[in-house]
Amino acid sequence: MTVTADISTLWHNVARLLDYAPDSPMLFSSGTFWALFLVFMPVYALLRNRLWYMLTFVVAFSLYFYYKSSGWFVLLLGATSLIDWSVSRLMSRTGVRWKRRTLATVSIVLSLSVLGYFKYANFFLWNWNRMVEGNFQPLDIILPVGISFYTFQSISYVVDVYKGRVSATTTWLEYVFFLSFFPALVAGPIVRADYFIPQIRANYHANRTELFAALWMIIVGVLKKAVIADYIAQYNDLIFANPTGYSGFESLMGVVGYTMQIYCDFSGYSDMAIGLALIMGFKLSRNFDFPYKSKNLTEFWRRWHISLSSWLRDYVYIPLGGNRRGTARTYLNNFLTMLIGGLWHGAAWKFVFWGAMHGLGLAVHKATMPLTRRLPDAWWVKAAGWTVTMLYVSLLWVFFRADSWLDSWLIIKNIFTNFSLSYVAPFVSVRWMWLIMMTVIIAAHALPSRIVDAAGTAFVKSWWVVKLLIFLITVQLVLEFAGEDVAPFIYFQF
Amino acid sequence: MHTILNHSHSLLKRSYISLWLLLLVAFGLVAAVSCFDEVKVGGHSFKTASFFDELTNRDPWIVDTLPVPVDTGMLDSVPPAPRFPVPVDTASKTILFFGDSMLEGLSPRLAAYCEENGHTLYTVIWYSSTTQVWGDCDTLSTFIRRFKPDYVVACLGANELFVRDIAKKREKPMQHILDQIGERPLLWIGPPNWKEDTGINDFLADRLDEGVFFLSNGMSFDRKKDGAHPTSASAALWMDSVVMWMPDHALYPIRLDLPSKAKGRPARVTLLQPLK
Repeated sequence: MTVTADISTLWHNVARLLDYAPDSPMLFSSGTFWALFLVFMPVYALLRNRLWYMLTFVVAFSLYFYYKSSGWFVLLLGATSLIDWSVSRLMSRTGVRWKRRTLATVSIVLSLSVLGYFKYANFFLWNWNRMVEGNFQPLDIILPVGISFYTFQSISYVVDVYKGRVSATTTWLEYVFFLSFFPALVAGPIVRADYFIPQIRANYHANRTELFAALWMIIVGVLKKAVIADYIAQYNDLIFANPTGYSGFESLMGVVGYTMQIYCDFSGYSDMAIGLALIMGFKLSRNFDFPYKSKNLTEFWRRWHISLSSWLRDYVYIPLGGNRRGTARTYLNNFLTMLIGGLWHGAAWKFVFWGAMHGLGLAVHKATMPLTRRLPDAWWVKAAGWTVTMLYVSLLWVFFRADSWLDSWLIIKNIFTNFSLSYVAPFVSVRWMWLIMMTVIIAAHALPSRIVDAAGTAFVKSWWVVKLLIFLITVQLVLEFAGEDVAPFIYFQF
Repeated sequence: MHTILNHSHSLLKRSYISLWLLLLVAFGLVAAVSCFDEVKVGGHSFKTASFFDELTNRDPWIVDTLPVPVDTGMLDSVPPAPRFPVPVDTASKTILFFGDSMLEGLSPRLAAYCEENGHTLYTVIWYSSTTQVWGDCDTLSTFIRRFKPDYVVACLGANELFVRDIAKKREKPMQHILDQIGERPLLWIGPPNWKEDTGINDFLADRLDEGVFFLSNGMSFDRKKDGAHPTSASAALWMDSVVMWMPDHALYPIRLDLPSKAKGRPARVTLLQPLK
């Protein structure tokens, strides 16, 4: 082993690593973030008891973190925070209802307009061209990372101030801290003002148990995202890139693989975000609760991307009337809410369809509840419910992932018309590592919660050296399975 | 002030220092080990982090801001002409053209040549792919089994222009690619450098037989906005250059008379998404 070094480029490379690079956003699982967090931690701990210093420091770090991923769109984030905060201050100073409502409306329309421009303008143009045979060229628009997440946070703040759920005495610094809080900035969980802002002044210090529980969450998150999701994605991508190029069995494995990939990718990111926040003494609500254990679609949406589904419930479903306007209207509200949820995921008809089908599924589940409630509380009923739910959810992931409608149908058709068990043996011999990864995550997902919790507790109680060893093994696993390119989180694009 | 410092100190000591030290020690170990390309324990090689390489590598952006050493090795990378001209094979061929996104520009022009000369072209574009990507799997074998080509054309290397120690890192995957191609005649079109590479062209020239590798480095291209991919017209000229080079230099020259059409359509184009 020989080591040769050319350190003449050291400072240039450090500067390059710290500069905005459009093709390599700063991920929590990257070495650059790790190094920066090592600097961040002691400074944060020293400033923790001096609120305004701490706020300034964390906001500066968060804005830099956003700059590293999105460049000068950081100014857009700053402008959004300034406008919404100003509007909320104005709202708090007037007791006239119509003025408050107008201000809230202006703020929400502004936020949605910005989101609409960056995310949906080209979708609109595409549809317009199709409808009127126009030839408007697509706009050269770059979608700022995480804009959907912080826009929803900002809207929830304005609505909460309007409704009096949050005090508008919050300073701009506190508000921008809430909006730009780096653990949740680019891909959630969507933080709610009424839950988060009171924590800022509470000055809570994570205790030793919480700190290492946070480290455990980060380790689990890294394993899910950077090891499992990124690895199984390699095979899944092949299937979705060439829908007719593989047998029905291989296509089926690709669909099952993507079902687990998107869970590991997004829940892994959420675990890391929640763990990082907890190290700083902030508690973010749980974003995933073993969603693939769900025995019906309603339960699935209570376990999957909880921060989004609860946001949609509180700011879309309930304002639409929720379940207060009769059965038919309840189903319609469910459907519309999920339709918006689908569109939130991306500017394409496939996301609209995905959301609509989930809305339809929720409506069907609610409509059949009087019948299903009469069924016995037996294992086979639960198994049947779980099977139907998983089939439906997995099937819809095909439309979510595939590049086009045609590709979606081809993959599904391929599974049903080109299926042969003769492919099982060669598949096992060639894709054995993919199968091991899938087995590990499915087994971990199927374990009772108490066992998963016990593993976390055992880690927290273990010796420092054991923790270090586990952390190093995690890092080595990431290195062993990593590709050469950075694999961004799937949810970055939303 | 003293109280604040004391409090901060106890806070650090009480809650954070243990965790911070753990992260610091782990980082130090990983960074130290990253000085080595790999670590072997009991016959197994473990990968190391890229910290060291990232902090000490010279490419790609600082090339413009630092003095570039005089490159005296250029001529070594130019493949010499074969020892004797090889007769052109005039039979119709089934050609498999595989590689990275550079095929987007090359393939339509090669398809035009194929249509003119009675060859059948199958194109497989794997976006962002490298010799490592193709060499770490059996995808190439799958396409060879499916299309049964009797001539293979590759264009790979553009996504690994700046990989350090390329020969060491790509030896195994490259061998696997060549094993999959087997005895089939091969033509490998080198990457259209936009900066000086760290060894991919030398590596390809070294690993491929004389008359198999076409060195594209040194050619002039009109580039697309990304600064890397040649424009459609420039890529067509690039393909023309390859065809003109073949009769006198290629180990396996085939009939490729100038087509009447500027672009053609391969019999089938397969697009593979990037691995991640």
